[in-house]
Amino acid sequence: MRLETTPPPETATVVRLDGVHVLFGRTLALDVEELAFGGGERVFVLGHSGSGKTTLSRLVKGRLRPSTGRVTVLGHDPADADARKRRRIQRRVAMIDQEFYLVPRLTVVDNVLHGCLGRVSPWKSLLGWYPAAEWERAEAILEEVGLAGFHHRRVETLSGGQRQRAAIARALMQEADVILADEPVSALDPELAEDALELLVECVARRGVTLVVNLHQPELARRFASRLVGLANGRVVYDGAPEGFTAEDAELVYRGQPLEKKRNGQRARQDVAAQAPRPDLRLVRG
Amino acid sequence: MVPPDWSVTTIVVRSTIETLMIALAGTALAVVVSLPLGFLAASNVAPSWVAQPVKWLLGFVRSIPLIVVALLCVSAVGLGPFPGLLAIAFHSVGMLGKFYAEEFETAEQGIVNAVSGTGASWLQTLRYGLLPQSVPQVVAFTVFRLEMNFRDAAVLGLVGAGGIGYYIQLYVRGFQYEKVAVLLLVIIAVVTVLDQLTFWVRRWVR
Repeated sequence: MRLETTPPPETATVVRLDGVHVLFGRTLALDVEELAFGGGERVFVLGHSGSGKTTLSRLVKGRLRPSTGRVTVLGHDPADADARKRRRIQRRVAMIDQEFYLVPRLTVVDNVLHGCLGRVSPWKSLLGWYPAAEWERAEAILEEVGLAGFHHRRVETLSGGQRQRAAIARALMQEADVILADEPVSALDPELAEDALELLVECVARRGVTLVVNLHQPELARRFASRLVGLANGRVVYDGAPEGFTAEDAELVYRGQPLEKKRNGQRARQDVAAQAPRPDLRLVRG
Repeated sequence: MVPPDWSVTTIVVRSTIETLMIALAGTALAVVVSLPLGFLAASNVAPSWVAQPVKWLLGFVRSIPLIVVALLCVSAVGLGPFPGLLAIAFHSVGMLGKFYAEEFETAEQGIVNAVSGTGASWLQTLRYGLLPQSVPQVVAFTVFRLEMNFRDAAVLGLVGAGGIGYYIQLYVRGFQYEKVAVLLLVIIAVVTVLDQLTFWVRRWVR
């Protein structure tokens, strides 16, 4: 396993995983000994389908609890048992899902305003009222993402690229410290994908927050990332500068890395042969 | 039956309006009660130890025939339109509550999670994540129920619960079919108007 760690940034650790294992039944979806993201980092996570990228996002967002280990976001557990604490931490993590999950019947501006639900008055918002400051913020963000004239268009009438930008706008509205994006450009053609990522990275840079993007395309990751993490079969196989991510690493990540069981005290051997990832992996300390 | 006896038109129209009011008020009351019950009966909103009993309760309410409910209300409250309103409301809650719950259960959970992920409270998530997805169907079914309730209310007058039903039985038993003809014409007119209104409302809500 090739590991190239970059020196941690001066700013504090925003997301931290310690000894995390995620088991779905008998399948080990994620096995991370230690992983930490700092403030302002643009982390791009590369991995094949089933490599654990989405599991990682869900852990950080607090939608999932690890089977063992600890996930810490801004010093707290995002999947805390106490609903109020959980909500308070989840408010500071914005998630852009692969399917966007905007409300199709509602207008663009209505969807974007959902981003501020965590901080507005709960009772007034139930009656459909938002403070004027939030409306202004929503308008400014819509202009920033290039959807200036689209306020009152229903989301169901938008194209894929436009919905993507609306989803980004909703995430930005949350004013989160961490923005997660799970394969945000999978549904877009290559040119649109690059534009969308460029927009996302620009908006995030302007705010100086942490960005974690799950992606399929190494070229895009190399272009936009400040740090690249490669996952294969639930494990981190690369963690470092995007420039150092070679074609060999790409093959490691994309063709999977089956692990042999530990035998007679020998270290598990890692093979770069093209084998399909095995569904039943036992816990192996490599 | 022909020619219709138009002398009773005023009485008939007035009592039809009363029937319509019973139906409207009864449905409105039912909606106010059914929406929260619908949320509580939806398995993706409420925990199963709440949702199951509520579903059972709605089924129980639904299984009592409307006439029986009306008779009970009349004996409890007296004659007139008010027991009719109560009976309509009670009977509708069973249908509306179940329908609302089923509609909420078919909502896309990803969207609900996305809204709750912004830090929204449970109520905010319902209001902004779940409800907007269900509004067209909820409105469509409620308006359909209103139309049915008008017809039911027309019948309830037969047991003294107000509205046009009283005159229906009066004229039919008195073999005054020319007057019954006027009754039927007025009812047909109202049902046609209601039908058109429901079409417009459903198109408006989309």
